[in-house]
Amino acid sequence: MVRKRLIIVLTINNGVLFRTRNFIPDYRYTINFVDAWSVDEVVLLDITRPGDGDRKNFYEVIKFFSKNCFVPLTVGGGVKSINDFKILLGMGADKVSINTSALENPNIITEAAKSFGSQCVVVSIDAKKNSAEEYRVFSDFGTKETEHNPNDWAKEITRLGAGEILIQSIDRDGMLEGYDNELNKMISDSVNIPVLVCGGAGNWQNFLDGFTKGNASAVCTTNIYHFTESSIKSAKQYLKKANIHIRI
Amino acid sequence: MCKVFFRRKSIGIMVIAIINYGLGNLSSVAGAIERLGYKYIITNKKEEIRNSDKFILPGVGAFAEGMQNIKNLELDKILNEVVLEHKKPILGICLGFHMMAHEGFEFGHHAGLGWLEASVIKFEIDKNLRLPHVGWNDLFMVRESKLFYNIPEDALFYYVHSYHMKCKMKEIVTGECLYGERFTSTIENNNVYGTQFHPEKSQKWGLQLLRNFVEMA
Repeated sequence: MVRKRLIIVLTINNGVLFRTRNFIPDYRYTINFVDAWSVDEVVLLDITRPGDGDRKNFYEVIKFFSKNCFVPLTVGGGVKSINDFKILLGMGADKVSINTSALENPNIITEAAKSFGSQCVVVSIDAKKNSAEEYRVFSDFGTKETEHNPNDWAKEITRLGAGEILIQSIDRDGMLEGYDNELNKMISDSVNIPVLVCGGAGNWQNFLDGFTKGNASAVCTTNIYHFTESSIKSAKQYLKKANIHIRI
Repeated sequence: MCKVFFRRKSIGIMVIAIINYGLGNLSSVAGAIERLGYKYIITNKKEEIRNSDKFILPGVGAFAEGMQNIKNLELDKILNEVVLEHKKPILGICLGFHMMAHEGFEFGHHAGLGWLEASVIKFEIDKNLRLPHVGWNDLFMVRESKLFYNIPEDALFYYVHSYHMKCKMKEIVTGECLYGERFTSTIENNNVYGTQFHPEKSQKWGLQLLRNFVEMA
């Protein structure tokens, strides 16, 4: 049976690996880490604000990863058109993730699925509870509340042809206190495409909860500088001991 | 003075042609071949294809669009020539593999390259089954294949697809995988090879499989 996945999300700001702390990017390190260890997949997200950088710098990062890491590569951030899909796939992406553009023009999901296959289209859902304590989907880097309820939106994007859903909990991101599994489970149980959960993992138990309580197909983490070779292994050993079917 | 003549073949370096039909993930395949230390070209030009020794038909995308691109570029003719007439080895990956079948049912009914008596069909949806089938899964080696040299039985490979190949000739199926149902994972039919998974995305064992293809006699 297909294994559960552990995915690393790398946020890239104008071609530079972005951390909130003083962090000096070293791609040699990153490549080794991805290639030699048992990371199952990599997501590269361009978080450059419009006008703050040159998109070409992000392309270089994609090319570099694509040529040097023999694991699947999902690329996203600022994807607006079918032509953007084409460009990113041409750079070496295997899948493209979209967020705001899917909210603005849901048909892009269907068009992309027709051209590149559903498996290529990952729709990212940024969600949190609003002031009325109801879950809502947010757009524009999690700043703009939309009228969509995450559940209904998940069903809609599945119907339109999305291949996977990446759930990003806006409130949990960077908190290291665990995923929002109430949100994850709600979405996961309402669709029949793989669901990747992101935002909040700080320890191995959080990964485990993502699978058992959040019903995730894959758990993601952005905190790569917490990892060493042994910690990826130990995370997976931990999950295996807890009867999660995972690639060691 | 003695002149030594070399025939081109005897000193020629083997060239792997990665077929560019506008959809596949070419850079990962190219990166993998480069890592293995072999020479490759990414091409859709007739003469370059004719002069190459082995071929990889990569794949990310939808069947209809893939075949349309192949036809628009008139790649079907030259591929038929090198694969069917000259019997040169070719490896199809995922969509590239699918297009070797005679028909596919992704977004309608479409003709493939027709090298394999096979249909490309969607997984039968089970309520508990999520589609696409994405992630690392097994390769059950049900028959011997040159592609399997030095690959352990518990090696895992990366799959991402909603459609799979149903072969009329069972004897060409060398590997299977389980996702709700058993389905074809690899085939070998004389000089034609195919993998449903992405060896270029399957780390160590994926590279070994590509090495086996590149180095086989």
